[in-house]
Amino acid sequence: MDTNISGDSSPTRPKWRKVAYGGMQPGFDDNHTDETFLEDMVMNANVVKRNILKVMQDSVSISQYLCIVSLVVLVWTYTLRSTLNENSLLLLDISLLGSGFLILLLTEEMLSLNLLLHYVLNVSFFTTGLYVLAPIYQTLTRSISSDSIWAVTVSLLLLHLFLHDYSGSTIRAPGALKNPNLTSCISLNASIVASVFIASRLPSRLHVFAIMLFSLQVFLFAPLVTYCIKKYSFRLHLLFSFGLMAVTLAFVYSLHCLLFVLLVGMLVFVNVVCPYWLIRIQEYKFEINGPWDEAKLCFDITD
Amino acid sequence: MADLKHRILMVSDFFYPNFGGVENHIYYLSQCLLKLGHKVVVLTHAYGNRSGVRYMTGGLKVYYVPWQPFLMQNTLPTFYGTFPIIRTILLREKVSLVHGHQAFSTLCHEALMHARTMGYKVVFTDHSLYGFADVGSIHMNKVLQFTLADVTRAICVSHTSKENTVLRSGLPPGKVFVIPNAVDTAMFKPAPERLGHNEIVIVVISRLVYRKGADLLVEVIPEVCRLYPNVRFIVGGDGPKRVRLEEMREKHSLQDRVEMLGAVPHASVRSVLISGHIFLNSSLTEAFCIAILEAASCGLLTVSTRVGGVPEVLPDDMIVLAEPDPHDMVRAIKNAISILPKIDPQVMHDRMKGLYNWNDVAKRTEIVYNRALKCSDQSLLERLSRYLSCGAWAGKLFCLVMIIDFLLWRLLELWQPAKDIEEVPDVVLPCDQDGEKIIQKIYNQVDH
Repeated sequence: MDTNISGDSSPTRPKWRKVAYGGMQPGFDDNHTDETFLEDMVMNANVVKRNILKVMQDSVSISQYLCIVSLVVLVWTYTLRSTLNENSLLLLDISLLGSGFLILLLTEEMLSLNLLLHYVLNVSFFTTGLYVLAPIYQTLTRSISSDSIWAVTVSLLLLHLFLHDYSGSTIRAPGALKNPNLTSCISLNASIVASVFIASRLPSRLHVFAIMLFSLQVFLFAPLVTYCIKKYSFRLHLLFSFGLMAVTLAFVYSLHCLLFVLLVGMLVFVNVVCPYWLIRIQEYKFEINGPWDEAKLCFDITD
Repeated sequence: MADLKHRILMVSDFFYPNFGGVENHIYYLSQCLLKLGHKVVVLTHAYGNRSGVRYMTGGLKVYYVPWQPFLMQNTLPTFYGTFPIIRTILLREKVSLVHGHQAFSTLCHEALMHARTMGYKVVFTDHSLYGFADVGSIHMNKVLQFTLADVTRAICVSHTSKENTVLRSGLPPGKVFVIPNAVDTAMFKPAPERLGHNEIVIVVISRLVYRKGADLLVEVIPEVCRLYPNVRFIVGGDGPKRVRLEEMREKHSLQDRVEMLGAVPHASVRSVLISGHIFLNSSLTEAFCIAILEAASCGLLTVSTRVGGVPEVLPDDMIVLAEPDPHDMVRAIKNAISILPKIDPQVMHDRMKGLYNWNDVAKRTEIVYNRALKCSDQSLLERLSRYLSCGAWAGKLFCLVMIIDFLLWRLLELWQPAKDIEEVPDVVLPCDQDGEKIIQKIYNQVDH
């Protein structure tokens, strides 16, 4: 009943059609492979062409956060060596808190007294809680040897860096739409546990309070602050990042030469080698699309 | 009857009492092959307390291997756990060819691997489409590549499915045959008298899940109801998205115009189909859509999304295709309603009889079997080299798996030599219907 359609195109042999009905097509085996085979296949349709400069600029966020964590570790080291006393630590805490608030206020578009009050209230609750808990932290890991503490802290920090959400901030500004995902929560918790371990090696209650406040401030709010800066102006973000890198490198150099080399190598790897690598392996990208793909819905599903 | 008679073992995790396209395909294909004089044995895993040997219509012997499924009717992949029992069945039934079905079935993959190790010719039928993007499909494609690296011939259910399988497995396209599903037109007859056209009924029968496009239905149904006050919907099927459809019905106050039937057993699909004029399929991916065939056989005009193998399934004047987008689907339904008066269900049914037939499918499959058996035997080394070319790491892994399988086979040969395994006597069935019934009775008595 459908053979009459194909009869006139070539008198000797009917044309092969890409249809499944009507039984075996006369003159063609079931394993016939037509020249139209795979003609609907599309390769690398959705591949984004990346620019090396753009990738390098984006990777600055990662090295910036690396520097922030290195600075925290530096403060920990100086405190453990008693180079920094509790008063200077507290001063550092207050100045950090103040500058953080200032940056938030300056970069946030909707400046309101209500929001500020909300923040201040929360931070005061937080500080009080920390002060009350400080004695517990101080004696928490007394029965564990210091070697284990260093080893666990280092691995927790590595875990933190590995799982950290570099594109945004785990602590969101109020009213943010997306919830943080599981990996960034794990990362945040790893950093907090690391700070508790370090704090438990300190001599006095005030030390513990000061160092905990410092670590929590940095780990919780530094991503938020840097995110706000980045959103406000990319140029400022780059400037801030390079400044931070210079300061960190200077401090690390004064601490230990090998660590300095390691950090420089790390920064070069993140900022230069990795972007170049990413661009190089782009040419091996092989993405196949075709009629067999599951269709994408063009509207949002709200469950 | 001078030509070769085959002794075929069909393997899949999916068989009755479970229900779906693959199960249907294996059952009808087996029945028609039996009618052609071949011997067919089906191998599947135990369903609940249904384990052991059962006989179905026409003396179709089914082995329910006592191997419990663990996820979505699939057996736990153990690689070698099923080897002893599969070997025994292959030897007992004097099988000449193994035919596996469905890429998701672990039992099928394992059986094909063991059969190849023992030197049997194997044929594989792929019933589904798979993308290339996510982790799940990358894994599945690797498994498929492993099985298909050494398969003698492969069958796909549509040309799109063939393209997909060739890309996924790297098989030469000449080894892949396209043999579609069919429909039992005797079971899906149109309604005895034609329905009136005062009220137009659109039928949807599918599992209400994301892949079947239940979310498209949520957008399309209210729009069509708004445009045509004389249209009514009947939705058969159950699934996680049923709640969304029911919400939509509440929101647009369409309780009297959208009927939700819940899950429809296959036996009553026809009675639902014949109460409608138009069949709506909203799948987002489909290798071949049997539901469309069933609807067309019942004389319904089909509106479907243009995905996968669907455009190949019916001639253009029996189906209205639309992009998987609510606006285009509404346009297609409008179009279908406008050509509806020209459609005669009985004519449609008679055309379907000519287009699809399980006997035709069986004959075409028989050709594939003949071709597969004509292939030359290959030594282990030749086969290993083919596995090695599957990938830098995967190739070596595949080789290792096959070498262990080969050693296991030699071990089994020592432990239980092939000549000690009792062979099953053949029962020659007379071809007419009554004879089948008598033999079946005898079988049942033997079984109990």
